[in-house]
Amino acid sequence: MLGLIKGLNVTLKNMVKPKVTYNYPQEPLEMPDRFRGIQYFDPDKCIVCNQCVRVCPTDCISLTGKKNPDPNQKGKVIETYNINFEICILCDLCTEVCPTEAVVMTNNFELSTYSRDELFKNSEWLFANDENIRSENTLNPIPVKKPTGGTPS
Amino acid sequence: MIRTEEMLLNVGPQHPSTHGVLRLLVKVDGERIVETEPVIGYLHRGTEKLAEDLTYTQIIPYTDRMDYLSAMTNNYAVVHATEKLMGLEIPERAEFLRVIVMELNRVASHLVWMGTYLLDIGAMSPFLYAFRDREQILDLFNELCGARLTYNYMRVGGVKWDAPKDWIGKVDHFVSYMQKQMKEYHQLVTGNEIFIQRTKGIGVYDQETAINFALSGANLRVTGLNWDLRKDAPYSIYEQFTFDVPVGEVGDLYQKYLCRMKEIDESLKIVAQAVANFPSEGKIMGKVPRVLRVPEGEVYVGIESPRGELGCHIVSKGKDKPWRIKFRRPSFYNLQILPTLLKDENLSNLVAILGGIDIVLGEVDG
Amino acid sequence: MNTLLLYLGPVILLLIVLGFVTYAILAERKVIGWIQGRIGPNQVGPWGLLQTVADIVKLLIKEDTIPKNADKTLFKLSPIIAFVPAFVVLAVMPFSSQIQFTDIGVGLLYYMAISSITTIGILIGGWASNNKYALLGGMRSAAQMISYEIPLVMSVVGIVLTVGSLNLNDIVEAQQKTWFIFPQIIGFVVFIISSVSELNRTPFDLPEAESELVAGYHVEYSGFRFAFFMLAEYVYIFAMSSLTTVLFLGGWNAPFGFTFLPGIVWFIIKFSVVVFFLYWVRATMPRIRVDQLMQFAWKVLLPVALANIILTTLLKEVPFLTHYY
Ligand code: SF4
Ligand code: SF4
Repeated sequence: MLGLIKGLNVTLKNMVKPKVTYNYPQEPLEMPDRFRGIQYFDPDKCIVCNQCVRVCPTDCISLTGKKNPDPNQKGKVIETYNINFEICILCDLCTEVCPTEAVVMTNNFELSTYSRDELFKNSEWLFANDENIRSENTLNPIPVKKPTGGTPS
Repeated sequence: MIRTEEMLLNVGPQHPSTHGVLRLLVKVDGERIVETEPVIGYLHRGTEKLAEDLTYTQIIPYTDRMDYLSAMTNNYAVVHATEKLMGLEIPERAEFLRVIVMELNRVASHLVWMGTYLLDIGAMSPFLYAFRDREQILDLFNELCGARLTYNYMRVGGVKWDAPKDWIGKVDHFVSYMQKQMKEYHQLVTGNEIFIQRTKGIGVYDQETAINFALSGANLRVTGLNWDLRKDAPYSIYEQFTFDVPVGEVGDLYQKYLCRMKEIDESLKIVAQAVANFPSEGKIMGKVPRVLRVPEGEVYVGIESPRGELGCHIVSKGKDKPWRIKFRRPSFYNLQILPTLLKDENLSNLVAILGGIDIVLGEVDG
Repeated sequence: MNTLLLYLGPVILLLIVLGFVTYAILAERKVIGWIQGRIGPNQVGPWGLLQTVADIVKLLIKEDTIPKNADKTLFKLSPIIAFVPAFVVLAVMPFSSQIQFTDIGVGLLYYMAISSITTIGILIGGWASNNKYALLGGMRSAAQMISYEIPLVMSVVGIVLTVGSLNLNDIVEAQQKTWFIFPQIIGFVVFIISSVSELNRTPFDLPEAESELVAGYHVEYSGFRFAFFMLAEYVYIFAMSSLTTVLFLGGWNAPFGFTFLPGIVWFIIKFSVVVFFLYWVRATMPRIRVDQLMQFAWKVLLPVALANIILTTLLKEVPFLTHYY
């Protein structure tokens, strides 16, 4: 009997404690800076080095590059860049290897839609996703000889 | 003429108490269980096979999804095996961070177990209290590595992120908060007569059976065997910390509960020590080549995950991908004892015994 | 006029009961939410006030499914059998000195007898669904309700002995000085335990133990018929809390002579306390196991209840205690 009464006491005490739930859809959830959300992609910075494609464990990035239209510049510029969020696991590996921080994480996480097709995001969409960008991204920057697509931020 | 018949009851795969998608084919005679056959594989994703086609760094996020309640220990198993094979030196600060997150993860995992177990037995509130407290651990992890469940935090050679500002202080604060909360759990659950009635003397097995079934973790220690890989085959920097390994005596569900609760206490102790001795500076990544090419060879490491011995066996042929990787997934081994335990039990003990084993279906199915 | 009241009264009571059920469900969810560090429903209507209404509407517009191999007649009959007694027992309940529908001499017995009919409804429902979980739930429910009815009746015999009547009005009248919870404390404990069990609520919610039997006897029911089972359950909470108030907490009598509030208000206050207690217990306790449940009824509750009867008869003879017994 005593254990039961103690238990009743605990639950009664908890009844008046402050509530811990979030009023989520009404109030947006603040995520810490390091949160791994939907990527932001800056086409100007990309040097089409293909490292993100190679490191992605689920093969959800697909990109194509073309020759730099400016004849004075060497290298390539990005033509299309897609991330398939049906299978992206937001593992952070692509942003980790990207030497120019062309693809970075943001704090946005609201991806649910009514159709799977909408989860296939192209570079325009990813470029427009420019809010709450994470401040640290390439933690282990890999030196690249000649970054031509843009300046690292 | 009165005639009784055995009835075949399909528990699962969609059932509230199978903790995922486990299916149990239960033959019952009235409410007495005659035979049980677990049917597994509904969550099989072929992690081991997939890993043969992935580089060592890419495997780490896959391990997050095996035992999703303690992804940190899974991360550690695979990076530890790789490091051992490559003979890497890990900076001290990284090891401290690893121990802190692994032990916090153990606390979180045991909290989920405690909550869901009580929910199986019919008490609702402990579940929400446990999740309330676990939430704080998840917030800490979120701040540290940017995810709440699939951490992908460890890297071969170290960890991905250093602790953010004030993080260590927050961990310290959490430890004292959690130690206070533990008292509340003991008041709410440990002394509860109904809970004791439902767990004391139920699902008993002896040490020999436990060893024969290759049980590990709390499932083994509850029979009185003091076997904890953190002590008996120390890895990382566990030798630096003082902690006890809680063991039971009779091997019933109540002692399993007590064991796991005490393990939370011990984990908190380890975290407190790690926080106190946390090196003020240092690198978090060792010297690692850009492309991880693991020398040819074979390695097996076993670490103490919240559920038992989590082993990782890597066979390398000198490529950047493993030739074969095998995880010894403790939930899978622990589940094997279920049909033996359930024989001739009452149907209402089914959920109690199944819950007591503490399986995570993602890990059982791999 | 009187005939009008005769027909209108029950309708009003039904509406009150439905209103009670609507808000009892909301209150339950709120209280349990608060206990668990949550807010409870707060989306539909201000403060979640329309949550249950929305739930009921949802249930009503849901497809009414009957399993193919179910016994159709019994399947349809069972919610009715389960619900009707729950409402009918309210007829004898004295809510205040004026508000009561029938004042029959054997009110208490009537309550006990009628309420046990619900068991049949549940058993039929469990059997007719042709589902193994439902069958197990129905069987458990029958076993449990029959077992606990006995200590339940036995626990109030002490009161009946003291008052010398089965009439609920007489019982309330007899409590003007002392509530029966004090002299009959043993009876009260037994009564509360068995009534929680009769109500199929935690820690005795085995028939619908969701972690074992998914939902028990009503697992195959959907829509309107399911709503009836739920309704019956909550109307029983209403009835059982009223009965507890009447038998042990002095009914409409004001405590300490605080008669400035009308009797009905006191009744509601006491009644709410009982209802809150039920919620509170639900939020705290784990579930008892089915075999332990039976043992508890027959080996613990029944002897205690019997002992209480004997004790009451003995104490009745003690001269200076006759005031209480
Ligand atoms: S987050 Fe991971 S899965 Fe997603 S695109 Fe980047 S590397 Fe691929
Ligand atoms: S790693 Fe960065 S720079 Fe290289 S292709 Fe990917 S996004 Fe472009």
